Amino acid sequence: MKDLIKFTLQPELEKPSLIIGWREDPGRLGPNVINYLNKTMMNRSFCQISPVDFFSLGGVEIKGNVARLPESRFYAGVRNDLITFLSDFPHFNQYTFLNTILDIAQDYCKVEEVYTVSGLVSPIAHTIPRRTFAVYNEPALQEKLRGYGLRDISYEGPPHLNSYLLWAAQKRGLRGVSLWPQIPFYLAASEDPQAVRLTLSFLNRRFNLNADLKEWNENIKEQYVKISRLRARNPEVQTFIERLETGLSLTEAEEMKLAEEVPKFLRKKG
Amino acid sequence: MGIRLYREPELVNPVMFCGWPGIGNIGILAVDTLRKMLFAEEFGEIEPWDFFDPRKVVITDGLLEDLEFPKSTFFFYRTGKRDVVLFIGDEQPAEEETVYARGEKAYRMSHLVLDASEKFGCRTIYTSGAAVTKIHHSFKPRVWAVPNTPELIDTMKDYKNTICVSEIEGSDGQGSISGLNGLLLGVAREREMNAICLMGEIPYYLHGAPWPYPKASQAVLEVFSEILEMTIDVSQFAEMIQQTEKNIEEFLENFFQTETIPLEVRSKLRDEIEKLKRSGPAKSEPTGEEVTELILERIDELFKKERKGDERPH
Repeated sequence: MKDLIKFTLQPELEKPSLIIGWREDPGRLGPNVINYLNKTMMNRSFCQISPVDFFSLGGVEIKGNVARLPESRFYAGVRNDLITFLSDFPHFNQYTFLNTILDIAQDYCKVEEVYTVSGLVSPIAHTIPRRTFAVYNEPALQEKLRGYGLRDISYEGPPHLNSYLLWAAQKRGLRGVSLWPQIPFYLAASEDPQAVRLTLSFLNRRFNLNADLKEWNENIKEQYVKISRLRARNPEVQTFIERLETGLSLTEAEEMKLAEEVPKFLRKKG
Repeated sequence: MGIRLYREPELVNPVMFCGWPGIGNIGILAVDTLRKMLFAEEFGEIEPWDFFDPRKVVITDGLLEDLEFPKSTFFFYRTGKRDVVLFIGDEQPAEEETVYARGEKAYRMSHLVLDASEKFGCRTIYTSGAAVTKIHHSFKPRVWAVPNTPELIDTMKDYKNTICVSEIEGSDGQGSISGLNGLLLGVAREREMNAICLMGEIPYYLHGAPWPYPKASQAVLEVFSEILEMTIDVSQFAEMIQQTEKNIEEFLENFFQTETIPLEVRSKLRDEIEKLKRSGPAKSEPTGEEVTELILERIDELFKKERKGDERPH
């Protein structure tokens, strides 16, 4: 256990809440939310989990022109009641990995509530108002968060790591909620500033962050303009998005086409 | 991490039978059928989270209700003379995405199964699985028995339709057993516990098939009934065997007619299968170099296509 965890700072914390994001997230929701919170709260990494037991270390991955190993870090800053965690998805030993997060959260940081943020890939248009679904590991927290506009969800199927985390937290008596803002499927492979703003708005209200979300409003506007340009140029894309806007569904082939065209266009500069 | 017992039954002279998924699900089908026939009672489990990732979550109206893991369950049944402990695993623990147990997790699980066996005083532990061999699917499979100590060889020879590895043509008493069926034998030997693996024969051309091979499960179950000195009605396998043979015939016919597979490969398999049909079960032998990799590859490709329809969403 000691070898798994490395502390670099010792922040003073007061029963904080922990907000968790994953790097490989639809619409880059997790990293965008956590990085923005870290910037706003002037957070610095204070603890990391060693990748050795949880990731295949057959080499390094290059992302954004930079080589790096998988990272799992906790961050703290000016707020003593809020910490963040950003990590790659563990490749194996998930149970040990999740319990290591919870050990640090509960035993060292005395965390009282856990929040996870992840994008929910949905068959919707980017112009349609989004909803945020939520899954709780205890009814009292569900009750406490009524009035924040979160929607309850029912689901049976293969679990996301967030559900596994909530379950492991529940076993230890630690309450938690996973937040699932909708991401239009054709933005899953790129960025979705609207989902980021939606999540940050919730966190802003919940934790009185006083965060300025102007930057995200600008990003949303910019993306709208870009996609409108694509719609004007590409009649097929226009038809597909229009159909989604009127509540109609697309065929698998049409969905694939849209999921290919939009990110390709968004990657272009200008 | 460990074993969770719901109760601790007192057992007389028990033996333990273990079954996991594997080729043709031969072992698990035999052990599970025994469980059903005996109405064996569940009395414990191995806690799953250190071995498996969850496979299903149940969320109702926003509340996380349950997380389901593959189960590894213990059952017991009292005969009064030789009681029975059954261990049934939904999956084999593996470090990577393989069907067979490998690595540290598999080794730890073997120890936990043996811990339970020791606690309840099991005299012998039987694992069960598949022996991939050159046999035609119309023949009754034999059961290969591999003990973890030479002293047990004579015991096994008493059972009908059972052979030792040395009796298999060309084997010279050598071979290997994949996954927990084999590992458990090795770990039991380390702990000086008696263990035997019983493997029902399955034709090599079916080793990648997505369906069970009940004919071999029935053969293994017949050996179980001799060990327990009790009559077990195996007639329930008849319908399943009939259905499987129909599947096999249809599959082979499809293989022979698939034009994308080179004619040479198709002809070679047809000849091999005809030869096996003529030669009878006595000629069974481990799959060797004569069976070209190409044939097996092509067969597996077709099996994979059949499986695709069953894939779960991720």
